[in-house]
Amino acid sequence: MNWTIDDTWIVIIGAMCAVACALPGCFLVLRRMSMMGDAISHAVLPGLAAGFLLTGSRASLVMFIGAGVVGVLTAVFTQWVSKFGKVDRGAAMGIVFTTLFAIGLIMIRQAADDVDLDAGCVLYGAIELTILEQPVRIGAFAIPPAALMIGSVLIANLLIIMLLFKEFRISSFDPALATTVGINANLMHYLLMTMVAITTVAAFEAVGSIIVIAMLIVPPATAFLLTHRLSVMLVFSVVIGVISSILGHMGALSVPLLFGLKGTVTSGMMAAVAGGLFFLAWILGPEGLLTTRVRGNREIEKPGSVPAGETG
Amino acid sequence: MKRKWILAVLGLGGGSAVVSCVESDGNHTKNGPDGYPYEVATTVGMITDIVRNVAGEHATVEGIIGQGIDPHLYLPSTPDVKSLRRADLVFYNGLMLEGKMGDVLDKVAASGKPVHAVTANPESSGDYVMTDNSNHHDPHVWMDVAGWIKAVEVVKTSLADYDKAHQTDYEKNAAVYVEQLRKIDDYAKISIASIPEGQRVLVTAHDAFGYMSRAYGIEVRGIQGISTESNAGLRDIEELVDFLVQRRIPSVFVESSVPRKNIMALVEGARAKGHEVKVGGELFSDAMGKAGTYEGTYEGMIDHNVTIITRALGGVAPVRGLNGKLEE
Repeated sequence: MNWTIDDTWIVIIGAMCAVACALPGCFLVLRRMSMMGDAISHAVLPGLAAGFLLTGSRASLVMFIGAGVVGVLTAVFTQWVSKFGKVDRGAAMGIVFTTLFAIGLIMIRQAADDVDLDAGCVLYGAIELTILEQPVRIGAFAIPPAALMIGSVLIANLLIIMLLFKEFRISSFDPALATTVGINANLMHYLLMTMVAITTVAAFEAVGSIIVIAMLIVPPATAFLLTHRLSVMLVFSVVIGVISSILGHMGALSVPLLFGLKGTVTSGMMAAVAGGLFFLAWILGPEGLLTTRVRGNREIEKPGSVPAGETG
Repeated sequence: MKRKWILAVLGLGGGSAVVSCVESDGNHTKNGPDGYPYEVATTVGMITDIVRNVAGEHATVEGIIGQGIDPHLYLPSTPDVKSLRRADLVFYNGLMLEGKMGDVLDKVAASGKPVHAVTANPESSGDYVMTDNSNHHDPHVWMDVAGWIKAVEVVKTSLADYDKAHQTDYEKNAAVYVEQLRKIDDYAKISIASIPEGQRVLVTAHDAFGYMSRAYGIEVRGIQGISTESNAGLRDIEELVDFLVQRRIPSVFVESSVPRKNIMALVEGARAKGHEVKVGGELFSDAMGKAGTYEGTYEGMIDHNVTIITRALGGVAPVRGLNGKLEE
């Protein structure tokens, strides 16, 4: 397969990205807000347009800031719409991101029609391109800049979730209880959403959209099929994310060769592997199709329908 | 409780500090090839064609964006990026033609590696590149053959710089190639000028023909903007249909790397208003024809476009083009 240091870096960046997304993704899945990443990927358009109109430049930093601001706003607006509009969060996300996306389209159409301005062109990176960038030297290591960017986001997410684990857990499952024990559930919600917004936009910039959207949802959802304990779910989703990255890149290099083609893009294959793992867990997991069939009618013991994580 | 929050904020800050306290890598420019043939990687086929002709036997050339692929939307695979990394020299178009990959290549080029944008010719950077009022460039320079000759100069100079031992070979090869390009340039001027003036309008799917318009005096109307991703609005289609009907334009054109749906909408629209518009043929805009055919070379691509446009709009040009090599 001709594996080089470049391939190792792609796998490392993919894995870090998967983990950085899967951690907040677990809470999104539990809060039934899984499509937040997808919503943000569309909602960033007015941010890009505004950044361009204000500065007249398509430089990465401007686009990044514009996208980041709108990403956070998407989360805030979604909360408002679901709270005051009395619709569920899924519908609220739908309302917010389609509206923002439409505003972005109109802005571009009116003010920058002749400019090549779309997320695919000015914001989304590609995981393969990360190894082309000039590496940054730290000691004896030459590290791709994207690895540092994603690594920082990963460390920040990890620290925040570890330190505020109890607060996140209580406010995710029982906001009312959280309030009675002195935790501001609203604040926790906005903190989580800001984390998601920054993580997605940073990861879009570094590796493109499909990995991010997939890794926010699929590893946590797969982990949820395997366990209903929050702490174990977090660990499982991390492991699944890392496996997706390794197998995804190996698959991107080798699978097309079987059909006589050149290698394909890693991002797509990573998402496909994650989907495959979900399928396996669905069939073979402790509550999977096959498992329950084998167990038969002998006993029906379900750990309760509530996604409860009593112990941490 | 409070301490935890402070730690969480510190975590955020700490993460970003990692990024800011490291220094960028220095240059490693290499002097001359280690052996022959050395490796050159290019993005689009038009550039591959130049390098093949100018480098001759001294280098092997690999173009990573294949035929029929839209370079604006191109996503590189790992083997593609490895080719770029392994190559001794890299040539790309620049001016955002290659989308995000162009961004990255711009940065690599700025770091001093032998990576060159063929449109970054110091002599031409002033007024040659077509720029709109908000300072954005049209990347489709190759549509004007005289402009593409400037790209040949960039390739020649860069190769000669890299491999000084064969400088005279590169100069000789470039001269032969440029001579060939001048012939097709003259052919294009004469052919397009033979189209009756009122009909000298090229209607296509996207704005890839601005340089052709300027060089050969043909008006260009595109449905989409410069990028292939902005969608055509209903208004644009209606306006174009009225334009076609009013000016009695006989033909519109489809492109090999852009879906033909919008162009077909024009044909239908004009028919509804009682004006019969033909599809004049398929033009090569962002990608050339099949490798190994005449249309798979830059010369053949321009010959094909010019011949088809001229004949479909009522001008005079031989069916099989300048060199009698076009497929009928």
